Amino acid sequence: MKATVATSVFAVFMLLTVVLGLLAVRGRGRGGGLTEWSVGGRSLGTVFIWVLMAGEGYTSFSYLGAAGWGYNYGAPVLYVIAYLSCGYAIGYVVGPTLWSYARRHGLVTITDMVAHRYGRPWLGTLVAILATVCLLPYIQLQITGMGVVVSTISYGTISLNWAYFIAFAVSTTFVAVSGLRGSAWVSVLKDVLVIGTLGFLAIYVPVHYFDGYGPFLDRLVAEKPAWLTLTGHGGSGLGGSWFVTTSFLNSLTVVIFPTTVAGYLGARDANALRRNAMLLPFYNVLLFVPMLLGMAAVFIVPGLTGAGSNLALFKLVVDSLPAWAVGLIGVAAALSSIVPMAVFMLVIGTMWGRSVLGAVPRLADRPDRQKVAAQVVVVAAGALALVMTYTVPNTLVRLSLISYEGMAQLVPMILLGLVWRKLTLWGALSGLVAGGALVCALVFTEHDPVWGVNAGAPALALNLLVALAVSLFGPQPVDARPDEDVLASDPGMAGDVGPAASAVSGSV
Amino acid sequence: MLKKRPALLWLLAPYVLYLGVLPLVDRVHPTVLGLPFLFFWLLLATLLTPAAVYVAWRSDRKRGRA
Repeated sequence: MKATVATSVFAVFMLLTVVLGLLAVRGRGRGGGLTEWSVGGRSLGTVFIWVLMAGEGYTSFSYLGAAGWGYNYGAPVLYVIAYLSCGYAIGYVVGPTLWSYARRHGLVTITDMVAHRYGRPWLGTLVAILATVCLLPYIQLQITGMGVVVSTISYGTISLNWAYFIAFAVSTTFVAVSGLRGSAWVSVLKDVLVIGTLGFLAIYVPVHYFDGYGPFLDRLVAEKPAWLTLTGHGGSGLGGSWFVTTSFLNSLTVVIFPTTVAGYLGARDANALRRNAMLLPFYNVLLFVPMLLGMAAVFIVPGLTGAGSNLALFKLVVDSLPAWAVGLIGVAAALSSIVPMAVFMLVIGTMWGRSVLGAVPRLADRPDRQKVAAQVVVVAAGALALVMTYTVPNTLVRLSLISYEGMAQLVPMILLGLVWRKLTLWGALSGLVAGGALVCALVFTEHDPVWGVNAGAPALALNLLVALAVSLFGPQPVDARPDEDVLASDPGMAGDVGPAASAVSGSV
Repeated sequence: MLKKRPALLWLLAPYVLYLGVLPLVDRVHPTVLGLPFLFFWLLLATLLTPAAVYVAWRSDRKRGRA
């Protein structure tokens, strides 16, 4: 009976998700090509951008990993809040900079930004392939994350394998058809449910199990002080220097992360992004909830280990709430997998449609055909992640270890390159290779953290050094274009309006 | 850009709040409203970050109108 109720609630909301995602493009016709699909025709206002970017940031990690880290280690998990807040703040400048650059030159993703900046289409192709290798593991993480949630909240009725498939089917369907706009619409449903259910749990769990916040926090402070400061509980090795380097590195990475950039480029104007730099950090307050509840679970369901600790939050939910509420909370968590997963697939599709397949002569300068190619890649990428989840799950798990630190190595090529003309193609590329190699070497030999700091940090330092050295002393490519055509800058508020800006806003 | 828009330095406030002062706030006591101090501080930082961005935004808006 319980299983039927929870599963029905889940099924109804999954159907609603697909319908909502498909309705997003109703009445928009078939025009617009890749720009309409990939970045919503650059037409989203402040609210949609907020909903979408909050939706991307709050992944299945927030329900599972954040609670699991809270359960196992405690305080180190707070790095997630630190880096997101720092990243949102510098997004105040980075967002409008990338947005205006992309709009001026008709670009839809980071790979055609680097292709344009360095004047080499093959560089876009290369970055697209590297970024895909880093993003595929994230898709798998969302698939497996949703799998365990769905099988838990359905009281085991839906098997893991079926849950994986549902994750793939739901997100692929709406994102292949509706693109970024579909993700934004589904994010509305997701954010309402996430805010509602976490707000409820934040109050309910301490009251139900501890007679309120006061007693809960008192007990935490008295009995579990090891969880409440860095390095956290359990000899994790995640101390203060790890916290600072990881947060710093991730805050730079998150602003050039392809999914974040998709949100930036979807904005109608630069001010929507500036307002979001102010508004998005508020969403982070919600992240405290699963972290605290993960620590609450230490008292209530002690002894979880390994992957089991990721379910710390859901053990409490299933243990204490009626089936319909369990179903609803499961839907919120499932959508937290589906929305980011859809955007991951969207950017992989966009990068390939534009920068890899777009290099094929039949597709070059044909945004309509590039869009179809991108949609095919979405389905293929999702299917690949799904098949790898079934057959070789550990491959992607290993890759996911280098995902964020690997993407961090693109920071000099993109952020520095877009504002500093003297960074040459060969400099940026050598830096990327050196940094990427060091990340792989450190992570795969299990030296992360290395000397107490995030392995991505020394790699980024090496990356930067090599990039500067090769740029200053290496070969100087000839590029006759003026600086205005190559570099990006924050347009500032005065630069938002004016005939020149609006003249080029049409679809490309 | 920073010469013309010095208020953009406010965008670095979260780096100071979350990371710069970390050695000083990485402690359990004193608890504030029951929260261990580190958690209280980071919650405060999360609420102050939008305020810092707002200061940068207000300054930009004044310049934009001028």
